[in-house]
Amino acid sequence: MRALDIKLFRDLWAVRGQVIAISFVLAGGIATYVMAASTLDSLRRTQARLYREFRFPELFAGLKRAPESVAARVAAVPGVAAVETRVVAPANIELAGYEQPVSGQVVGLPRGQGRFNLLHLHAGRLPEAGRDREALVSDGFAKAHKLHPGFSLQVTINGRKQRLDVVGVASTPEFIYQLAPGSIVPDFKTYCVVWMNAAPLEGSFNMTGAFNQLAATLERDTRVDDAVMAVDHILRPYGGLGSHGRKDQISHRYLSEEFKQLTIMATMFPVIFLSVAAFLLNVVVGRLMATQRSQIATLKAFGYSTAAVAWHFLKFTAVIVVIGTALGIAGGAWMGGGLSRLYMDVYRFPYLDYSIREGVLLVSFAVSIAAAGTGTLFAVLKAAGESPAVAMQPANPGRYRRSLFESKWMSQPTRMIIRNIERRPVKSLLSIGGVAMSTAILILGGFWGDAVDYMVFAQLRRAQLDDITVTFFGPVSTRALHSLTSLPGVTYAEPTRSVAARFRFEQKTYRTALQGMEPEGRLRLLLNTKLERVELPADGILLTDHLATMLGVRPGQMLTVELLEGSRAVREVVVAGVVSEYIGVSAYMRRDALNRFLREGDSATGAFLAVDSKLVPELYARLKKIPAVAGSAARAQALQSFYETLAAQMLTFALFNTLLASTIAIGVVYNTVRISLSERSRELASLRVLGYTRGEVAYILLGELTVLVFLAIPLGLLVGHGLAYFMATTAQTELFRVPFVIEPSTYALAALVVAVATVISAFMVGRKINHLDLVEVLKARE
Amino acid sequence: MSLEAVFSARAVTKFYDMGEVRVHALRGVDIELYAGEMMVLLGPSGSGKSTLLNILGGLDRASDGTVIYRGFDITQAKDKELTQYRRSHVGFVFQFYNLIPSLTALENVAAVTEIAANPMKPAEALDLVGLGDRMHHFPSQLSGGQQQRVAIARAIAKRPSVLLCDEPTGALDSETGIVVLEAIDKVNRELGAATAVITHNADIAGMADRVVHMSNGNVSHVERNEHRRNPRDLHW
Repeated sequence: MRALDIKLFRDLWAVRGQVIAISFVLAGGIATYVMAASTLDSLRRTQARLYREFRFPELFAGLKRAPESVAARVAAVPGVAAVETRVVAPANIELAGYEQPVSGQVVGLPRGQGRFNLLHLHAGRLPEAGRDREALVSDGFAKAHKLHPGFSLQVTINGRKQRLDVVGVASTPEFIYQLAPGSIVPDFKTYCVVWMNAAPLEGSFNMTGAFNQLAATLERDTRVDDAVMAVDHILRPYGGLGSHGRKDQISHRYLSEEFKQLTIMATMFPVIFLSVAAFLLNVVVGRLMATQRSQIATLKAFGYSTAAVAWHFLKFTAVIVVIGTALGIAGGAWMGGGLSRLYMDVYRFPYLDYSIREGVLLVSFAVSIAAAGTGTLFAVLKAAGESPAVAMQPANPGRYRRSLFESKWMSQPTRMIIRNIERRPVKSLLSIGGVAMSTAILILGGFWGDAVDYMVFAQLRRAQLDDITVTFFGPVSTRALHSLTSLPGVTYAEPTRSVAARFRFEQKTYRTALQGMEPEGRLRLLLNTKLERVELPADGILLTDHLATMLGVRPGQMLTVELLEGSRAVREVVVAGVVSEYIGVSAYMRRDALNRFLREGDSATGAFLAVDSKLVPELYARLKKIPAVAGSAARAQALQSFYETLAAQMLTFALFNTLLASTIAIGVVYNTVRISLSERSRELASLRVLGYTRGEVAYILLGELTVLVFLAIPLGLLVGHGLAYFMATTAQTELFRVPFVIEPSTYALAALVVAVATVISAFMVGRKINHLDLVEVLKARE
Repeated sequence: MSLEAVFSARAVTKFYDMGEVRVHALRGVDIELYAGEMMVLLGPSGSGKSTLLNILGGLDRASDGTVIYRGFDITQAKDKELTQYRRSHVGFVFQFYNLIPSLTALENVAAVTEIAANPMKPAEALDLVGLGDRMHHFPSQLSGGQQQRVAIARAIAKRPSVLLCDEPTGALDSETGIVVLEAIDKVNRELGAATAVITHNADIAGMADRVVHMSNGNVSHVERNEHRRNPRDLHW
């Protein structure tokens, strides 16, 4: 077999352009898969490892205030393994030299060895016992402001301002995902977690000997819901806010939702890309092998068995598989590493366990081998099935017939183009299908960007019209609003009342904020899918469309609403309608109705402000001094952090996919025309001999390509539209829903990439036409 | 027969460098082809006859020497000029016909007449080779001999000055081959194109005005037939 192996390498070298192009198609599909799978795996592994190493608890409870003795009663609940209590206080934070108010929470460190939520120290040290002013800050905040231990913060807890000296930077599993009150995306500049010794915190928060947060681990096989019920029963007299499992822990919940989102992207993109690449690989390899028909017959004539011949050509394909898969894995790992680091910027993981599972590598190779192997075997067995004598005869002229689409005015070259396409409809359809699929996946990449832009447009330009959202520590009388209106730059203020609530419809429950809004509000609009305003009903509530879907409730039906604060009232409320929101899920009712539901007077927990942008710095300076203000989120900043965090992840993912899709598109188009040239070089050379110019001959070959591409592009746009729709309807999470929006520019770009790929391929193949060996092709039979 | 030389080749050399070995295909050939004559180039495989024909037809370039076609030195021609030369003046017929499978007989001829300056009608060319009743057949619907006659019709439809045939009967049985040779003979007589037929079959030499024997890259000798025989009278 040695001579055959030499032949193999020479043959590969002879078609190196195609080998590279096919490898790229394969690499594009594999890279998408490896990138997505490794990123998702790595993030999940890291999360699991962190939860284990830093002891993330399984049950969480917030309450107003309970004496330390209550902890023992909770610990005695059947199924509860261990309990830890602590004090957590909301705080206003001022950082010297930073204009905007920073909101945050101050967490009391356990006395002695902590049980749960152990700290990972990034820099500095822990506060020493008895040092009341020493504190740690969350690493996201430190990184965003480029701070190192040794600076101090002015922290206002319970209206009392104090200086804290930062001695270290830390992170813990409970704050992997950090959200400031009133924000929809993490903003590390304006949100900070502070840890300090328990005693001074309890002192300033009037909590000495008491706690307001409790965490527990559960014994194996304990049902979380049972434990939650028992714990809620104990804590209710102490202002319990309802306990919950990990599912409802904010950081965990957002992380899960983001992982869900990533899982969808990481499943769908690779499945689509890999199927497209496998399909193309199969077709392209099959056609490449078909051009080897005479060689196959010759080898058979020498006495090689069909199996030996098939094995020989499988080795040929194996080289492509190895190159393509290796390139794909390397490229996917490189992009996966980059993507994972991007996620780490948002998820405050202290480290990332980046790795690629063997399974991913196995699947990569298996898919490649299956796609290329069947393509090869099919073509080789077909060729080997012919008797060797057939190859000794002059090639039979292919059977052609007149086409329906031709007219008598057509030139013969045009006739050739049309008849050639029609004569082998399957081949033509496969070519069209290949180019169409690569057009489609290009749309899929671009669609993501359009969707994110629309999401931002709808939410932050049409629905949220306030410049700054102010959140109070607790309900305040709306008289406080008047003081807001008198602040510098504030032109208009609108109160809002937000309360944690549990919504129940039949067996389904969901916990989120119920927001009381002004009926004629101007700064926060509730919109339907057409971005038209939905009026707040005098009675009843409006739900985010996704919440209604999750609960399975329709407008007109009654929903059980259980308030988790204040009156803790439980009531049946009619669902008056749904509002379209792409980010987060909420429920809305009129603020006056919510005040009555809460059995409280005219009060608010926050306000939307319209602000004169020139006076924002002065406004911030004043807001920092108002003790009741827990946080203030600027819309412009929300927009910015959205693009910097969530959007950056998704768009980077989409960008990588667009690049891979372009690679696939170029590979497919080049191969289509290149193989076409091999199949028809004899015919084209004959025409050259008859006196056709290079241009006239190129017209026949490239004209066919152009017709195929022109048919393929619209089809690809259509398929891309369908795939994007499928992805949008599948990619629905509580965190955000991807709107189905594709801009004309995305279609145009996809078509343009394919068109440019065609022109480049045409140029490269055109050069080959110029070098057709006229004498040689006339001698050869095929 | 006039003695105007259509081609005049002088000291034509052709070698191929195959790695370290230089293979000489032609070693200084001098030859003329006269207007209207029927020349048969006879010689064994590797004698250089195909190489010579390819050079005359503008498909290949001589390594040295000159080939003058009616005062035009094709050895110095640029690729574009060679294309124009083939397009306007040369008709080719090949052993394996080289028809375009996607075009009917008539359209195959039209493919050439469409780009020629003063062509005959495609149907006329097919009539000339006796295929007037097969004009709308595709190559796959024609026998080998019929395909070769279409190729001849295609070659002569542009009214070329020279008709170059490389083993036109090489892939055919003798009976069919004779029909093809008759067609070549007929177009040579009726159109007056200077015709060169390559063959290694000595029996075909009888139909020529002149027989040029080649061996080893050289013209070994030239003989002139007193009478051209009708291809129908040939046997092999």
